[in-house]
Amino acid sequence: MAGCVIGMALPSRVTAEVSDADFNALKGTVEKLGEQVEDLQQSNIVQQQTHAQDTQLIGQLQQKLAETQQIATNAEQKSIEASMTQPMPRQPIDEATVNHNFMMLGDAEFQYAKLAGQHGAFLQADFAPIFLYRGGDNILFEAGFDTTLQNNAPNSSGYTTSFNLSFAQLDYVLNDYLTVAAGELLLPLGTYTERGAGWLNKIPDDPLAVDALLPGSGVGAELRGGIPVGDAGESLNYEVYVVNGPGSSDTPLTTSGAAANLDLGGNVGVRSDGVTANLHGHPSGGARLGFFVPFKPHYDLELGFSGQSGEWDDAGNHLWSAGVFDAALHLGPSFEAKGEYILTRYGSDDLGTHSQEGWWVQAGYKLAGLDLELPVINNLEIVGRYDALHDVYDPNNNNFDFKTQRYTVGYVYYFTNTLLFEGDYEFVNSNDPSQADQLIFQLSLGF
Amino acid sequence: MNKFKPSNVLVQTTFATIAAVVLLGGLASTFCFAEPPADASPTKTGSTAAATNSVALKPQAPEAAQPVLKPQLTGAELYSMHCNRCHPERYPTERTAAQWKTIMLHMQVRANIPGNQARLILQYLQDNSGR
Repeated sequence: MAGCVIGMALPSRVTAEVSDADFNALKGTVEKLGEQVEDLQQSNIVQQQTHAQDTQLIGQLQQKLAETQQIATNAEQKSIEASMTQPMPRQPIDEATVNHNFMMLGDAEFQYAKLAGQHGAFLQADFAPIFLYRGGDNILFEAGFDTTLQNNAPNSSGYTTSFNLSFAQLDYVLNDYLTVAAGELLLPLGTYTERGAGWLNKIPDDPLAVDALLPGSGVGAELRGGIPVGDAGESLNYEVYVVNGPGSSDTPLTTSGAAANLDLGGNVGVRSDGVTANLHGHPSGGARLGFFVPFKPHYDLELGFSGQSGEWDDAGNHLWSAGVFDAALHLGPSFEAKGEYILTRYGSDDLGTHSQEGWWVQAGYKLAGLDLELPVINNLEIVGRYDALHDVYDPNNNNFDFKTQRYTVGYVYYFTNTLLFEGDYEFVNSNDPSQADQLIFQLSLGF
Repeated sequence: MNKFKPSNVLVQTTFATIAAVVLLGGLASTFCFAEPPADASPTKTGSTAAATNSVALKPQAPEAAQPVLKPQLTGAELYSMHCNRCHPERYPTERTAAQWKTIMLHMQVRANIPGNQARLILQYLQDNSGR
């Protein structure tokens, strides 16, 4: 209000008067503003030109992109047309795939053992693959290898790595009842040799008599098969074979026919003329006849008799013979008992004819049969074995005076149906210094 | 040279007795308990259970006057009879149909299984195989 009053009171001439200095200053300011406007106009022109160039460049790029997309579309179209006109790649038929005709089965084991009087140690690592090749419906080639890293204690120091061909045979199934096999054969002296490998056996080590008295394999030919004899699954099973048979060892002590020189591993040895060669030209013959009687699934009895005989020494003067009785019983899915009696006899230059014998009986019971519904218990099997070995050759005294009896108790824990953890304690009574009580654990896998 | 020791014999006898009791107890339980469950065969499929249920080696005669005919054993039954003789049973689903063909040829030879029985077992394994 006061301002309005003062403004109305002052004369108008007073407000219109501007000094020269102020006018010149104002003029200078206006001129600068004009220059700035011109600069802005020029800058705007440049920007417009740049924008125009960018727009032109974008247009060119869009055109090139369109051309590229067109090329890609054309290529895709050509590809589709080509795939429609050409046949599809041939898909392999499942039955004919080589990978399915060729298979690897087998087992692997890992052992820890504590021998009486010694420190506990990891005893063995074993990998035993079996290779199968099926050449059609009737032909099968099968070979088993055994690669082992073995602690040598207590017999010697260090470890031994071995790689062995356990068996290698060609099978031709002639008909439902007869198969011809040839090659390195697992010998059917009893059933343990063919059915006791690795994870199949419920106890980590083999029965004494099987290891000491019988050859595991032999090179030769075999006829084998099964013949049904009843409506409930009963069958006769048989094997008849000829193999090179045992021989004399490569280190003759006196003559090739000395008792100590018996070599169950084969008939190659040192002849009397010092040449390493086949020792004799007469193969050994053997056979097994078994009778399998199933009462119902998981309930069965099998009895078998087997034997082998043939020359073993260089001169062909002495025979090595073996007879085995085997039996196996299953009473339900949980109970199994089996065993063998083994009798061998062979002649020698120095000790005459001598017999050796051994036997083993083994039983197992799966606690799942108790229906306790306990997870750990249900996976456990209690096992026991009694085995004996009599009249074994004693190299120190050059006679057959070693006798051993062994009692084994233990368990099998089934992580799965093929992954087993076994633990056993073996009580040994023996006059053989190499035999001792043993605690042994084994982790085994079948595959 | 090792010799028999009284203490050793005592321990052996003790363990042998325990083992014998456990095994004989198990054996007794085998007879005391009822028949194995229908799914004793590892495969849990309905067809297998049915096949296992069909274990009837002594079928009931429909009529007293008619002769008793034993049915042919199924592949599942033969599988349960033969495979468990030597090793824990393998599940059919563990292998493909083609793989079972190779394995069964191997087992036919190794276990002396008559050919017609081997074919029934193979059929059972392939019908329930993994692929």
